[in-house]
Amino acid sequence: MTPRWARKGRLAFLFGTPAMLGLITFLVIPFAMAIALTLTNQKLLSPQHVQAVGLANYERLLGLKVMRQDGIASSDGHVTFPRIRDVTRSSPTLRPYRPLGAMTWESTRFVLLARDPVFMRSLLNTALFAVMVVPLQCGLALGLALLVNAGLCGQRAFRTIYFSPVVMSMVVVAVIWAFLFNRDLGLVNQALGWLSGGQGTRIDWLGNPATAMPAIVIMSAWQGAGLQMLIFLAGLQAIPTELYDAARIDGATPLQRFVHVTLPGLSNTIAFVVVITTIAAFGLFTQVDVMTQGGPANATSTVMFYAIERGVRDQDIAYGSTVTVVYFVLIATLAILQQRFFARRAGAR
Amino acid sequence: MRRILRLSIGTLLASTASCTDKPGAGGRVLHVWQHQTGPEEAAANQQMIARFAAGRHNFVVNAQTIPQGSYPQSIMAAAMAGRLPCVLTVDSPMVPAFVWAGHIRPLDTLIDRQAFASIAPPALGQYQGHIYSVGQFDAALAIFTRRSTLAQIHARIPTLAQPWTRAEFDDVLRKLKATGRWQVPLDLGTREPNPNWWTYAYSPMLQSFGGDLIDRKTNRTADGVINGAPARAWAAWFHALFANEWARRLEPDDQSLMRGRVALAYTGNWRAPDLEKAFGNDLLILPPPDFGHGVAIGGGSWQWAVSSTCTQPAQAAAFIRHLISTPEIAAMATAAGMIPATEAAAQRTQRFRKGGDWRVFYDMSRAFARPRPATPAFTAISNAWYHAARDIMDGTDPRDALDDAADAIDQSIADNNGYAPAAEKTK
Repeated sequence: MTPRWARKGRLAFLFGTPAMLGLITFLVIPFAMAIALTLTNQKLLSPQHVQAVGLANYERLLGLKVMRQDGIASSDGHVTFPRIRDVTRSSPTLRPYRPLGAMTWESTRFVLLARDPVFMRSLLNTALFAVMVVPLQCGLALGLALLVNAGLCGQRAFRTIYFSPVVMSMVVVAVIWAFLFNRDLGLVNQALGWLSGGQGTRIDWLGNPATAMPAIVIMSAWQGAGLQMLIFLAGLQAIPTELYDAARIDGATPLQRFVHVTLPGLSNTIAFVVVITTIAAFGLFTQVDVMTQGGPANATSTVMFYAIERGVRDQDIAYGSTVTVVYFVLIATLAILQQRFFARRAGAR
Repeated sequence: MRRILRLSIGTLLASTASCTDKPGAGGRVLHVWQHQTGPEEAAANQQMIARFAAGRHNFVVNAQTIPQGSYPQSIMAAAMAGRLPCVLTVDSPMVPAFVWAGHIRPLDTLIDRQAFASIAPPALGQYQGHIYSVGQFDAALAIFTRRSTLAQIHARIPTLAQPWTRAEFDDVLRKLKATGRWQVPLDLGTREPNPNWWTYAYSPMLQSFGGDLIDRKTNRTADGVINGAPARAWAAWFHALFANEWARRLEPDDQSLMRGRVALAYTGNWRAPDLEKAFGNDLLILPPPDFGHGVAIGGGSWQWAVSSTCTQPAQAAAFIRHLISTPEIAAMATAAGMIPATEAAAQRTQRFRKGGDWRVFYDMSRAFARPRPATPAFTAISNAWYHAARDIMDGTDPRDALDDAADAIDQSIADNNGYAPAAEKTK
């Protein structure tokens, strides 16, 4: 019988305490401190007094402005515009702004200026990474799970092989893939050259702004897919075989069985896998730090990478904290929306 | 249950008790921190410390090695927690920042200035008229190549008195590329993702072009200097190296010259032992080109400093005096191939004495070394320069990249109130 002192949830409280203490010490308190830091000008290495600066860090991070430029038409009808940086740097109000993008309409140019274009770029890069990696990684994982579940010989060995990148350190995997992606000596380009019979140009995977992020996507999906494969495998094995037998008797083709039995049977698993993959994608840091350091020309700078760059490497911890707090708000909003979406779908069913 | 609780509290107390044995507070232990280096240098350091400890029985030396990549962060964290060791190594351009933050104390208040008189300027960390750090050695960057390589294209072998001009250097690269033996002829070392390396290696080239990182007279603004006309000329030249495929932006390892992937490598004297083993007499060690305003190479390597919180300054001072003694400097130079900080020590080594085969490094260090900006803003300058140079390499408009650097540096100076000293110590 339960002793009296353990009733009324006290036991639950007792057992929960170690975990809660850990969460409070390492998550809640640091986060509260981070929020407090964003309102100051705290530096990591400075003897000066810390001052409260209000929302200055947020203004510097999020400030946007649109500037209109009138073109100068030359005699042959060609329209030129003054260099944006020359205009912004000579104007006291525009001095802190840098160009983020521009749109030309006839002889007028509209320039989007940001106080921190690298942060905006990082936000965009992170979203781009998530949009590319989530379908690829989940699709790859589902494919591997189906393959491993097909009852072929040696499937246990394959399961281990496909899972092995997950248990490898991400730093090691990233270093190896940086070699593979090397333009002149990497295996990827050598294989492509061999396949194309020596035709075509060598791709500078990590050195070209257009291919750097896709290269990281491919590598990340390869590294992470093993974990999602295991979850899918559990989901697949939970689908009753009677359903497949019934479908077979009704004369369903393998494709029809996949679309009408496997996919509906996996819908909850898919929702779960998509959510955890998305969350992991938004935390992209290690691959970037090891393989590209945010380059070339900020094409792979992500928000987490940028926060570390500014907060720790530039020693501006207040600003780095501001990056993470703003990012937290964005991610939390997204998570709530995603949850509402899945809840509504479940309710509709 | 209660027993478990008591046990865990006990463990907790025990672990906090062991924490109170913090560096810099004990009386009988001299704590020493050093960054991780190559095996030869690490072994030489170990022996140097062992020789120091051998004659002393009233205290022990506790030396710890910390990975170089996270060394600045470790120092910063230790400083914020007030747990810096008594003696520590610092990268020389970081000295002003440590002084500004109040982490290290002037060595010339502990040791007579006369003791430093024979030390070459690049091996001394000086700021605001005081000596804060001292090194046993300096390093020098050079162009490494093979005699047979240059003979192939009939190129002139440059000397310290007559280095290659920019036109000659470009011509050498063009001819080497034209031989078809190398996909790219030059390894500049751009694979290293470390801002301080980029500043050490490439800002002297900017200086040789007539530019600089910051206005050195005031150290208050970079605008008009790092983005001035000479800097734009440097940027155009630097970008062309990669656009012409004269250099690879990312070599897969640091063995490019050794494996014959490139014809010329721009790297430091610490690579000389390996290359000499591989090429013997065929190895050539050449000064970097003169881009119009004299040859320039970075001066100042890792040095030793004493923390402000050190409670055994006398013992720390003895340690510093020991490591700058002539036999110790000579021992380090012999063991690790680093350029000795004094002429007397150089004369005691096979390699660096007059006529020695590595004397060229000693002479280059004395003739061409230029200090990096002596300001607490160095980290900001170095990061800004690193990003600008990388962006230029990767094809960003050089003017935009250099303007970004100027803005970032000036912003940092404004954010830190001009890096003015604190009105009063916060502690």
